[in-house]
Amino acid sequence: MDIDDILASLDPHPPSSSSPSLIPPETRDLQALTRHWVAERSTPELLSWPSDGLFERINDKIKRQIEKVEEMTGDMDPKTNFALIVIQTELERWKFLVRSYLRCRVGKIDKHLLHYISNDALRTRMSPIEEAYARRHQLLLHNHYLNSFLGTFPPAMQNLNDTAGNISMIDSPDLDSAVFIRLLKNAEIECHGVDVDGVLTGKEGDIVILRWSDAKGLVERGDAELV
Amino acid sequence: MSYYDIDAILTDAEKIPCTFQIDVPDLGYLDNQPGHTLKAGSRVALPIWLAEMLAIANTGAVDMDDPSQSSKSFITFDLPSALGNDVVQALKADPRSVPLRDQSAHFYALATHMMELSEEPELSAVLRKTFVSRAAEIALHARKVGGGGSSYHGRDGGGAGGKGKGKATKEDNASNLGVGGAGEEFLRGLDEWERKLFRSAHDGTKASKEWMENVKKR
Amino acid sequence: MALPLPTGLTQNEVSFLAEMEMVTVVPRQRLDSIDLLGGKTPQLRPPHRAQLPLWLALLLKKQRRANIVPPAWMHPASLAEIIHRETKEDPEAFSPPPPPPSRALYAQPGTARRLNHQHQPSFLDDLTQTTLDSQQQDPNSILSPPFLPSNVAESPAGYLPYHWLEIAEALLTHAGDDMPAPAGEVRSLLRDLVEVRAAKMRSSTSALEGFGDAWLTLRGVGAMELAENRAFLAGLVDGVRKIGASAEATRREEEEEARRGGEYGGDGDEDSDEDMGL
Repeated sequence: MDIDDILASLDPHPPSSSSPSLIPPETRDLQALTRHWVAERSTPELLSWPSDGLFERINDKIKRQIEKVEEMTGDMDPKTNFALIVIQTELERWKFLVRSYLRCRVGKIDKHLLHYISNDALRTRMSPIEEAYARRHQLLLHNHYLNSFLGTFPPAMQNLNDTAGNISMIDSPDLDSAVFIRLLKNAEIECHGVDVDGVLTGKEGDIVILRWSDAKGLVERGDAELV
Repeated sequence: MSYYDIDAILTDAEKIPCTFQIDVPDLGYLDNQPGHTLKAGSRVALPIWLAEMLAIANTGAVDMDDPSQSSKSFITFDLPSALGNDVVQALKADPRSVPLRDQSAHFYALATHMMELSEEPELSAVLRKTFVSRAAEIALHARKVGGGGSSYHGRDGGGAGGKGKGKATKEDNASNLGVGGAGEEFLRGLDEWERKLFRSAHDGTKASKEWMENVKKR
Repeated sequence: MALPLPTGLTQNEVSFLAEMEMVTVVPRQRLDSIDLLGGKTPQLRPPHRAQLPLWLALLLKKQRRANIVPPAWMHPASLAEIIHRETKEDPEAFSPPPPPPSRALYAQPGTARRLNHQHQPSFLDDLTQTTLDSQQQDPNSILSPPFLPSNVAESPAGYLPYHWLEIAEALLTHAGDDMPAPAGEVRSLLRDLVEVRAAKMRSSTSALEGFGDAWLTLRGVGAMELAENRAFLAGLVDGVRKIGASAEATRREEEEEARRGGEYGGDGDEDSDEDMGL
């Protein structure tokens, strides 16, 4: 044991690691935001918009923090100045997470617009703003096509959601695409393969590559997370 | 299959050998006999999209005189030469030595489509093995081109013990700038799926190298 | 507006994530607690150690306000042990990840409990309520990198945490003078480790050869190694699946048929009754 440890043990406020591991709600929000971001970046399809008000809460917090930064900016005291640098650095990190998350979702929605707005269950995965965006985008796009070339086609061929000839015009994500997950507990994974379907006995901490369609249930149950 | 996928559309345009099962009046020009009837039994190469429809659809005709003529498919088809026995045997012997691109730029897509139309369990197994073992070779080349062995190469040790290695690495890089004879030949023979794989392996290595260099700057 | 990046975290994103890992610092100056969006930072009072996220620790280090205590696993002896394990003990697999974290309980001195572990109800419940409340109730309570407290700051020697390469690089570059050994020595060990593991990553794909297994496990792999190989591995697995798609459909039909045959035969054969679907 070195002197630092001895001194640390005399500290009247024990460091968080040895006290009951209560995680403050602010930190929980950061963890949830990070998890949502990683998951969204890692899956072939759009995931559900968190319904627990996480993003509304985070946006409020970011707004308040920006106001605080503006208030502090006038203060030239070097001590508060350093605190300001820290606050701004952290603020930028949160803004990056939120932006990247939202843009990633917009990317998925753009790619399969009709897929997400043509189906009730899928539509509910979008936030109200995202759904309004998707509808408007589809409208603009379709009208643009009609004005530039689609309008000259026979009326029966002017739709973009035709399913004639057993081929749907509505593109959808490949739900069997490979994803990477980490098991958060020991779990049995039902996997589908080319030559065998089987049950893999996974250990906590395993990193597994498998089809998203096989991983989805595990992730939703909280037995695994996307990495 | 995706509706707007250009590669899928191009794959559908690949021709496969077909045999007509019935006489078709005036279609003789397909077999270099303009103006004549195309006789049953004629072998003609047709694009997949057409062959597929003709093979699945039937004439629907009820021929009272000859019942064997009724409800026949218009055509039957065979595997294209790209997936023929010669190629399969060569792939079994040494998957890495076959330039797949010479068979078809969309070799795997073509094969996948053909296997949807008719069951080919052996072909499926051989091709999967081919894909995986060629992928390992692809990864090897992609890493060389992407950034000199592993991403950790190409930077100085940053202190004691790192100098000698740093120098050797530079030489490695120089020799890897050109892929070299045999490698170049192999890469030329990649089909579209394999080229995509090559690109993702290359980009992964390159991005790691760039990240490594950026750590210092921050 | 839409993010132009491919599916899966890139190297830069992984590096950003790694900066959330906690590291231990020894402050050189006093610094009051700062009210951040992610919670209050601890008060810094030299020479008391504190745990901070890596990004903040690096900021303090660059301003000479703190030194960073290198994690135990970065010690040359630990790295050499890991290399030994990776090359001699099990030349096939990656060395295992750090053991799951446990915590001493505040309310029950002398008792340890696994974090993340399924809570077993017991008569001790009322005593440990405060500890368990926060850990058990919502699904986010299962901690994993980068939020595992024991991952870096308290990670034991001899194991590589998930974000090992990113953290090692950041610490060597910006806190080289805080290392337990000359930075060059640590770096050269890390380089060996990178090489050994890159070769394992390459050979991992041969497991897929031809037989279309449904999965591939890479226990012990690091985040940066995954980022580098992610697109390639995913492309490989997807390719095998697509080439095998019709064979797979045929096999499933046959199995379905065999199963139905078994049912109609009424011999109650358990083996043919496997549940294939989800």
